[in-house]
Amino acid sequence: MSARVAVPVFPGTNSEDETVRALHAVGLDAALVHWSRPEELERFDAFVLPGGFAYEDRVRAGAVAAHDALMRPVIAAAQAGRFVLGICNGAQILAEAGLVPGDGPVGRPTAAFAPNAGGRFRSVHVHVRLTVPPARLPILGGLTAGALFPAWAAHGDGRLAAPPEELDRIRQGGHLAFVYADREGRPVAAPNGSALDAAALCNATGTVLAIMPHPERDAWTFQHLGAERAAVHGDTAAILAPSGGIAFFAAFARALGAGVAA
Amino acid sequence: MSAVRTFAVTLTIPDNEAFTAYETLARLGIPVGRLVRADVWQFETDGGVEDLATTVGSFETIFNPNKHRLVERPSDRPEPGEVWIASRDEAPATRVAGRPIPGVRAIRRRTSWRLLDESGADVPPDVRARAVETFLCNPAFQVAIL
Repeated sequence: MSARVAVPVFPGTNSEDETVRALHAVGLDAALVHWSRPEELERFDAFVLPGGFAYEDRVRAGAVAAHDALMRPVIAAAQAGRFVLGICNGAQILAEAGLVPGDGPVGRPTAAFAPNAGGRFRSVHVHVRLTVPPARLPILGGLTAGALFPAWAAHGDGRLAAPPEELDRIRQGGHLAFVYADREGRPVAAPNGSALDAAALCNATGTVLAIMPHPERDAWTFQHLGAERAAVHGDTAAILAPSGGIAFFAAFARALGAGVAA
Repeated sequence: MSAVRTFAVTLTIPDNEAFTAYETLARLGIPVGRLVRADVWQFETDGGVEDLATTVGSFETIFNPNKHRLVERPSDRPEPGEVWIASRDEAPATRVAGRPIPGVRAIRRRTSWRLLDESGADVPPDVRARAVETFLCNPAFQVAIL
């Protein structure tokens, strides 16, 4: 039986359907859970907090959702070692909840995905490269060293910010899971001014992962722009074929012991 | 001679953000009767900038007369009972909506919070401190100015 994965939906979440679609494509039994039904989260094995603007980013991106009743079971599950993945707004929520990097008490953030340098929303296609040994990140199974994934960065608040001593802890403690890279995996400056060029952080056990760019928005070829999509124009099978971002979800499925086809 | 001039922009319509903050504080067990929020804009000027209030009020990104009240503050510090949340590493802006303001060298924005009890009085300092530490300010990149 496939692992059951919850995709919690807060008021203002907007990426839940494509996230569920990507999870289904890699063989996971994923379902949406509405903010009014936190008790339903008890029956799931793992959690994926999707992108969007929970509570309109009121007060700070992710701050209100981090204290929402819907997060209580997620926090409890994270503390019990179950896998919790946050994408974009989901990553902001995990940081605000103190689950990543997880150096302090729950509910007391030590880092943040803060407003981008320059203060503007950025939407740009990126690649992210694994910077920790694959075994450091059990939430993603079967990765090779330096694994590279394509994704879309689309956020106004994606800049890792923390005091210098916390950034040292993030680096030395192996919390810097992914950095921005070019398509060959060479490091590039983060498009949002993120400290350490960070694209994703993980907790101490590698069971909670907060990633800012959206791999689910580069999960099928039709989500590409320009020449790559033009190259398959008229070829329905090719247009609907999985693309690089689906490999990220396949790694999540492998970690959960699920069959991976896409 | 430089000077800092401070303007507060408050909503004249219901403030959904303040209400959401109130609900979150209630969920955290922090007893607050009401929150009042304002955007605080600080303009560092070369001195005698004429009619800055009118200029500030002309920027729709700062002030919409249909829903905002714009007031110049006499002090560049928070009023008693008020807390300002600022970005720790904020680079001051020099433009608003892409436009410079003649005589203005730096522009900073803060969020003002005032926490009131059921009677409309300021909550005790320890309650305000708990609200700031647990929710209103993320110390990883923000600072609370009292």
